[in-house]
Formats: sequence, C-alpha cells, structure tokens
Amino acid sequence: MTTAEFGAHNWGMVVDVDKCIGCNACVIACQAENNIPINTQDRVERARTISWIRVERYWEGDFPDAKARFIPIMCQHCENAPCEPVCPVYATYHNAEGLNVQVYNRCVGTRYCANGCPYIVRFFNYWEPVWPESLRNHLNPDVTIRSRGIMEKCSFCVQRIRRTSRTARSEGREIADGEAQTACSSACPTSALNFGNFNDPNSKVSKMKEDKRHYTLLDQFGTDPNVIYLAKIDADKKVGAGEHASHG
Amino acid sequence: MQQRRELDQVYTNRKLLNGQLDTPKWWAPTVTILGIGVVIGLFVIATMINKGLGVTGLGRPVYWGLFITTFVFWVGISHAGIMISAILRLTQAEWRRPVTRAAELLTVFSLLTALVFPLIHAGRPWRIAYWILPYDVARGIYPNIRSPLIMDPVAISTYLTGSTLFLYVALLPDLGNLRDRTTGWKNAMYTVLALGWRGNPRQWKMQTVGGILLSALMLPIFVSVHSIVSWDFAVASAVEGWHSTIFAPYFVIGAVHSGVSAVVTMMALMRWLWGWDDFIRPEHFDALARLLIVVATGWLGFTFLELIFALYGQDAPEIALREMQILTWPWNMLFIIFLLTGYLIPVPMWLFKRVRTNIALMFWTSILVNIGMWLERFLIIVPGLARRTPFVYTWEAYRPSAVEWTILIWSFAWVTLLMLLFSRFFPLVPLFEQKESQVFTDDVMIGRAKVPAIVREAE
Amino acid sequence: MASEAVAHESEHHAPPPKVDADVVARELIATTTNASVRFKAIAWTLGILGVIGIVALILKWVNDGDDSTKWGYVATIVSFLLAVCGGAPMVAMAPVMAKANWVRPVTRLAALFSFGSVVTIIMLIPLVALLPPLVTEGARRRSIWFEAPDYAPHIWSVVGLLLLALTGIMLFYSAAIPDFASMRDHATGWRQRLGKRLARGWVGTDVQWRTLRMRIGMFGTFYFLILVFVTFLISTDYGQSVIPGSRDAIYPMSLTISSFQGGVAALVIALYFARKWMGLEKFVHLDAFWSLSRLLFALTLLWVYFFYSSFIVFWYGRSANDIATLDLLIRGPMIYAFIAGAILIWFVPWWILIWNRVRRGTSAMVVGSFIILIGLLLDRARYFVSAWSVPQDQIHQKWLKVVPETYFPNIYDILIMVGAISLAAVIIMLMTRVIPVLSVWQVQEFNLLSKPIRYVRGHATLVAKPD
Repeated sequence: MTTAEFGAHNWGMVVDVDKCIGCNACVIACQAENNIPINTQDRVERARTISWIRVERYWEGDFPDAKARFIPIMCQHCENAPCEPVCPVYATYHNAEGLNVQVYNRCVGTRYCANGCPYIVRFFNYWEPVWPESLRNHLNPDVTIRSRGIMEKCSFCVQRIRRTSRTARSEGREIADGEAQTACSSACPTSALNFGNFNDPNSKVSKMKEDKRHYTLLDQFGTDPNVIYLAKIDADKKVGAGEHASHG
Repeated sequence: MQQRRELDQVYTNRKLLNGQLDTPKWWAPTVTILGIGVVIGLFVIATMINKGLGVTGLGRPVYWGLFITTFVFWVGISHAGIMISAILRLTQAEWRRPVTRAAELLTVFSLLTALVFPLIHAGRPWRIAYWILPYDVARGIYPNIRSPLIMDPVAISTYLTGSTLFLYVALLPDLGNLRDRTTGWKNAMYTVLALGWRGNPRQWKMQTVGGILLSALMLPIFVSVHSIVSWDFAVASAVEGWHSTIFAPYFVIGAVHSGVSAVVTMMALMRWLWGWDDFIRPEHFDALARLLIVVATGWLGFTFLELIFALYGQDAPEIALREMQILTWPWNMLFIIFLLTGYLIPVPMWLFKRVRTNIALMFWTSILVNIGMWLERFLIIVPGLARRTPFVYTWEAYRPSAVEWTILIWSFAWVTLLMLLFSRFFPLVPLFEQKESQVFTDDVMIGRAKVPAIVREAE
Repeated sequence: MASEAVAHESEHHAPPPKVDADVVARELIATTTNASVRFKAIAWTLGILGVIGIVALILKWVNDGDDSTKWGYVATIVSFLLAVCGGAPMVAMAPVMAKANWVRPVTRLAALFSFGSVVTIIMLIPLVALLPPLVTEGARRRSIWFEAPDYAPHIWSVVGLLLLALTGIMLFYSAAIPDFASMRDHATGWRQRLGKRLARGWVGTDVQWRTLRMRIGMFGTFYFLILVFVTFLISTDYGQSVIPGSRDAIYPMSLTISSFQGGVAALVIALYFARKWMGLEKFVHLDAFWSLSRLLFALTLLWVYFFYSSFIVFWYGRSANDIATLDLLIRGPMIYAFIAGAILIWFVPWWILIWNRVRRGTSAMVVGSFIILIGLLLDRARYFVSAWSVPQDQIHQKWLKVVPETYFPNIYDILIMVGAISLAAVIIMLMTRVIPVLSVWQVQEFNLLSKPIRYVRGHATLVAKPD
C-alpha cells in the first residue's frame, strides 16, 4: 500500500516568478547541499562555473519600456529530454519518478548531453574539484563528489527524496505533501520555489500548476518539462501564459 | 582526356618501386623529424589525459571545440579513397588509376587519426570501453544504440575495415612483384603478405571481381559515415545552427571536396619527392580538377541552401546565430577566409586549363581548399554552441588553447609519418593499374585526326 | 573495363552491325512521315483525354475556385510534370559534361520532353491564383522571400517555369540544327521547308560545329541551373511555405534528385516504345538501356538517402515543430500513400534494378520505370496534398497544432491528372512527327566513335574520347 515505494511519485517543481525576489538564497543553498565546487575567479573567467540553479536576469520589452526581470533556472527534468537519447552509455536517463538522473559512475564525459540541452543546465567538470581547507568538513556526506571529466546537473536533491521516502517507508506511511523538499525550495524565503508530487492531484504543486499563469520554458523544443513556471504579474500589461518563453 | 604514352614494363617497375628498392636520401631525416614531432604530440595528449580537459580552452556552453572539428575534418579527408577508387572505378574513369593507392591510403590513415579525437576529447577516456564494447552483460546495460556517438564508431570502424580490405586487395599484385625482387627478411614479409600471388588468370579474375564487389559494398558505407557524423550535430534540435535536414548530404559532398583536394596535394608531393613525372601526369591533375569544380560547386550550392533555410523560418534565435557567425568579429573574418579558401580562390582558378595542368598551382590551391574545409567545420560546430541562448549568462567563451593547437598539428604529422613509413615498404602508385591502363588505351584514326580511345566492355 | 569483359566473356554475343551514315540519315528522317495506325490511335486517345483534362480543370476552378484545400492534386501534378518533363532533358546534356558515348543517340528524345513543360505551366495557373500573398492579416509567413514584395513567389514561379520551358526548347533547338539541315536535304514537303527555315544555313563548317557544341554546353548548364532553381521555388513556395512551421532544407534537393529519377524513368519508357514501334533497334543499342538503368539505380538509392536524411533529423529532433511536420507529412492521413510511394520509388525498383541481367534487358527496365513513375506520383501526392490540405488561415502558425483531414480526389482531380499526363505525352509524340526521334548526327557520331574489336578471347568496344 505504501506510496513511499519507488516509482509512485512524479516529482516536479512549480516556480512562481511573481514571488521571486532574486535573493539568490536558492543558489547558495544548492551549492552547500550538493557539494558544488566554489566558482572561483578563474572558473568564471573561463566560463566554467557550475551552478545547478541560477537566477537569470533578462529584459522584457524594447527600450525605453524595457523591464529587468529575473527567473530561477535549474534542470527542467524534461519528460522528453533531448539530453537522454544522445548519451552513448546511458549515464543520463529518465527514472520512474520523473527525474532526469545523472549516473556519475557511468559518465565518460562526451558532453553531448550538454549540447542537446536548450536550457544549458548541464555542467562539465573540467578539473578535479577542490575546496579550501576550512570547507573540507562542511561537505555533505550524502552527495557524491564528482571527479573531473564528468557531467553534473540539478538532481532535484535526490538524496533528500531518498531520505524522506526511507523514513516514510520505515514508519509505514505515505510521504506527506511537502515533506520532501529540495535545498532550494526549503531555502526560498518567499515560497517562489515549490517542490512536490504531480501524481497527487491534491498536492500543493498540482494545484498551483492549474493556475492560468502557468507556462513552461522554451516550449518550442517540445521537451515537456517537470518544472512549471507561473508568469510574472505585470500591473502595466496583461501577460498571457507562455509569453516569457521565447525571449532572450 | 588520356594522353597516350608508351612506357615499357621494366621502366615502370624500376621507377615505381624506387621507394622500396632504393630509398631516397631525404626519407630517413624526414621520418626522424616527423617522428620526434609525433612523440611530442603524444606526450601532450598523455599530459592532457593525466591533467584533465581543463587544459583546453573549452567552457560552457562551448563543450565541443577544436577536437571535434578536427575529427570531422579527418573523417572528411577519408572520403577521398572510396571516391577515387570505388566511384571512379564503377564509372570507369581511366584517369583514376595512378592515384587509387594514395587515395585509399589517405582513407585508412585519416580514419585512424580521426578515431583518436573523440576518444581524447572525452572526459574520462579510460572508460571508453563502455562505449564500444557491450559490457557487463549481467546488469543488462548495453551501450545506447540510439546515441549517434555509438553509431559513429560503428560506422567508422566498418569503413576502416572495408577500406583496409580494399587497399589490401589492390595491393596483392604489387606485393607479388616485390616478393620477386627482394631478399632476406623483406622477401619473407612480402611472401607472407602476397598470399601466394602468382598472377594466373584465376587470381586476376578473383582480384578484379573482389575489387568491384568491394567498390559496390563500400559505396553505402562511404555515404553513411559522414552522414552519421553529420547527424551528431543535426539531431540536436536545441542548437539552431545544427538542426538542419540538409546536413547529411552537405557533409558528404563537403567531405568529397576536401578529400579529393587532399589527394591532389598528395599527388603533387609524390611527383616531386619520388620523381614519378611519367606516371602522375598533368592530365591527371586536369581530370581531378574538373571533378573538383563540379563537386565544389555542388557543395557551395548546399552551403547556400543551408543558409537560406536557416533564415527561412525567420526565428529570432536562428537569425541571431547567423548574424554572429557571418557578421560579427572574429567569426566574420573566419567566414570570409572560409569562403575565399574553400571556393572563391581555387575554383575560379581551376576553370583555366593552364592552372589545372600546373602542378605547383594545383598543390597550393588544394591546400587552400582544405584550410577552407577545416574552417567550415569549425564555423558550424563552434558558433552553433557559442551562440547566446535565452537563459544563460555565458556565451562566445571559447579560445582554443595551445594544447589543442598542438594536438591538431600532431594529427598532420602523424598522418604524414604513417604515409612515409608505408611508402618505405609498399609502392604508392599501383604498378598493375599503371600497366593495365597501358593495355586498355589505344589510338584510333578518325578522319585525319588521331584520337585516344579506351577499351570498354561490349554490350 | 576490359578485365570485366574478359570475366563475363560467356555473356557476349557478336557486336551489332555497323550502319552507314547515309542510311542513318535516310531511315531516321523516314520515321517522321510513316506513322502507324497504332501511333495514330494512341495519339488521338491521349489527345482527347488531354482535352477532357483541360475542361475538368476549368470546371474545378468554377466549383472549387475559392477553397485552396481542395487543390492538392493539381499541385501534385505540377510537381510531377515538372519532374518528368523537366528532368528528362538533363540527360540531353550528359554527353557534353561526361563525354559518354552511349547517351548520344537518345539526347533528342530527352530534349523533346521540354515541350511537355507547356502543360506544367497550364496546370500552375490556378495554383498561382490560389496561393495567398506573403503577408496576410499583418502576419508574414515563413518563406525564402524575406523582404520581397507580397506576390514575389507568384511572379517568380511563373517566370521560372517559362524560363525552364524556353531554355529546354532552346537546348533542343541548338542540338537539332544539323538535323534540320538533314531534313532540308533528305525530306519532302513541309518538313523540308521547315528544315530549310530552321537549319539557318547549316553546312557543317568547323566554325558551325564549334558554335553548336558551345551552345549545347551553355544551354545545358543554364538548363540545369534553372531546373534546380524552379524546383527550389515550386517546392518551397507551393509546398513548404504553406505548411506552418515546416523547415526542411534538403527538400528542394530531394525533389531535384527525384525529378532526375522521374526524367530518366520516363525516358526509358519513351525510348523502349520508340525503339520497338519505330524499328530503331539498329540505332539504339542495348548499351543505352544498360547505362540508363545504372543511372536510374543510382538515383533510386539517392532518393532514399535524401528522404532518410530529412526524416531522421525530424524524428530524432522531436521539437514541437519536428513532430508536427512528421505528423502531417508522414504519420498523418497520407501514411498509406507514403508507404506505397516509398515501396514503389525505392524498394521495388531497387530490387529489380540490382540484377545485372535485368539491367541488360529492356522489358524489365520498362516495368521498373513505370513503377518508379507511379511511386513518384504517390510520393508527390503525399507531400503536396498534405501541404495544401492545411487551411490558409493557419499557415502563419509557428507549428501546426492540428493535423487537418486529408482531401480525397474527386472525378475532376482524376480527370485533370490523367489529362495532364496524356497531354504532355501527346505533345511529345507529335513532336516526333516534326523531327526524327533520334538525333541523326549524334547517331552518326556514335557510330564513328565506337568500334567493336576482338579483345583477348572476347568482344569489346573501342571508344574514342575526342576532346
């Protein structure tokens, strides 16, 4: 009976862009949770930064009516992911819970998946990751440290999902709505990031995605993402669903 | 057009076997220098594998750079062999004969070189066994055959096997010839390799039939190899500059353009270095240049078709990408050089017979073509990735590092070294083809004119 | 290659007898006058069918002139005729480019196909009227005409087709001058007067011959370029740009390749009947069929290669646009036409033509060519009927949201298609009454340049290669 079993969920995220204040708390939480190496000056200069979630700035409208906007972007965990079929070793595949998972051990580092991704949310480890001595003891023991030569990306904090479902299974109950949280969603001060189960029609995220403001990023690629965005409410103009999708 | 020239067989043997029987003086020092260069290159590759891909200039989103460009380039060059040997054999072009061996060799060695690049460009090359070998049957995880990166090694290794066979079958009569002219360990080597070739009618028949069958079988492989390489790019719908249906034939015809040009380069070198003026003659350059004019013009047509249909949809990202690729510094400079060297300089020059029969000019123009064709691949692959996408804060961030340039230069030294080593032991111009062409050509008198003629199979 | 000649020695028979140049001229010119009863019957039947087709076209315009979704089959027949009548003359320029000897006798017949292009132009007229301007309701649809005026595709497709027909006829005429001179010298009646007028004082001086060859080369090159250009225009303006979102860069090339294929197939059929019913076995040797068949085989393989090149990119790409394109053109209502087309264009002919024995004969070649032409028609219908079935108010969408119902041909469409093909055929047939179906001077040249010889223990041909 227990729906804490593997495969009973379809994890997804609803991002309410209207609530996002661009504070970058999610970014910091993600770096800390997932043992992401520090983006040093050298890495930034050589365009080799790794940030599983990022807050992107973009412009809406043409000058002089342009408005600066920002939007958090992470792996969209597409149902129809362009990164998956191109991997020669099945290092990335879609699991039964709707996650696009990356198997570090299998990855040989062809970087083909990253080329296929329209959201550019896949990152390659050009060097062996290093941390300053002071941070060595702060690493998360639940998360693998990725060696050089492999791809990595947002995992929807799969270690947290596993921990929650393990606890629920051992207690013989279902996972409650909102019990499993990613690092970014639990760090978000305005609840712009909401994580949950799309399979449960009564979950918070399932209800949120019914909102008429909902859209998915870059829908022209037909990727069918598991991350749903709710459009920014603009007092000056009426914004229809999906209008954000196409600008750059 | 064939110019008939009577060359007796003793002369042919002596001249064409001069690489094996009396090695030219320049051979040993050249090989030594190239060898040192190759060792340095291998050391750089080893360092890169040891340190990690951080030593390259790659970043995000330009995940593929010089290595993949060079890979495509060498696969392209490899199309020379089958184009010259198989297609021209099936279409019965007489002038192909002296260059078949060189073209096939180019195929084999450039494929061997091309294969290196996808391996070393991977993050963890020592795990490549995952790719090609179906490993760990117990867990049931085979390589993903949907991935173009699996189709690539399959296509290339098939092509490599086929071309090697093709080369070998055509080498047999010459091996028999060498066996009869050598002593000692060389004789033993040629004896084994010649597989008992004595040149009786049955063996000739089998060799001919084998050659024709291989030609016909190699054709689909020839087309498929570069098509599959092109699909590495074309299937990625998220990359605007790559997702085009024209890529497969476009890459194939471009490959023929660069491959045949590389053969012209080689022919000029062979003529100069070994003094085969009687065998590799201006009319051969003339015929190849005529072929190249047609191929290059077709290729240019495909280039424009690709561009027109990139703009056809009038989508903002695609137009932005093309603006960057063609109009923005430094890509515009590369684009202009690419157009000039790939087409605008060489092809109009080839329209003149005086250029087509001038060996030095043909040598330099054919090198220009290959500079252009390398740039073409670079301009497809890198701007396609370096373009600014809607939600990303880095773009255009790629400058090839010294390591990448070194490895690129290494690949040329490596192919040349392999060629020279081969030339020490095996003839670069097929002796039997040369003699056969003597037998199959004749003159006929039409009116008062003496017209060269070719013997063809009766209907 | 003679080593093969030795290898296949057993299959060879004695070479065909040599025909005197004088006999060639007299016999070939005689074919223009003595039409058999069968020829007349077929010509009359085709002519009547053609007239019925034109009438049906007018009636269809009266009935359905306001609904573009019902004109897919007319678009199909335009592209089909463009393929057949446009592709065949390409063979006429082959000897200049490749210096192939076998092709010389058949160039005339190939060039005659240009006259069929007249029918293509007639069939295009209603489509020009139905094609919407580039900008409708303020939205500009996808097209190759980025900044061009709204009616650029309409104007250029007509100009292109007229130019194609004109260049084709010029290509025919420039190679026909020596034959008109022969008619002036050997024929009687109006043919002699026509020959006298059109030969333009041809006596066969060195300068005249040089000019002639230069003209053939020039018009041949022009013809090739214009054919590619027109195919490009028709396939984009009347095919791709009326499908929302469709972007297939290879399609124009794919259409060009299949138009060569259709042209060669039609030429094989025409050559077969001309050879058999006009008694031309002496002049058209099996060699020509054999070489045409190899060409056809190569083009058949190219068709499947080009098709697959575009298919795999859509199928693997899976963007919304890719999926919509596949849904309309392949997985959609025309899937059976697609499957049948692929089998008939590629699979069946491939399996027939792969056999050496088939390619050395004539009857199986004709069957194969018929199959290819039927397949070609089905494949064009698959594309153009699907394209035109999209209502015109949807063609500005980024991609097709709903696959429309397909349109089935009614009696008018069938009569139009049959009529158009018959009309083109009868025009070509009537042209053989005006000028010999084989080029007299090219047959003479063919005989001059090839000489049967004994080679080792078999027969071979010694072919001269003049510059």
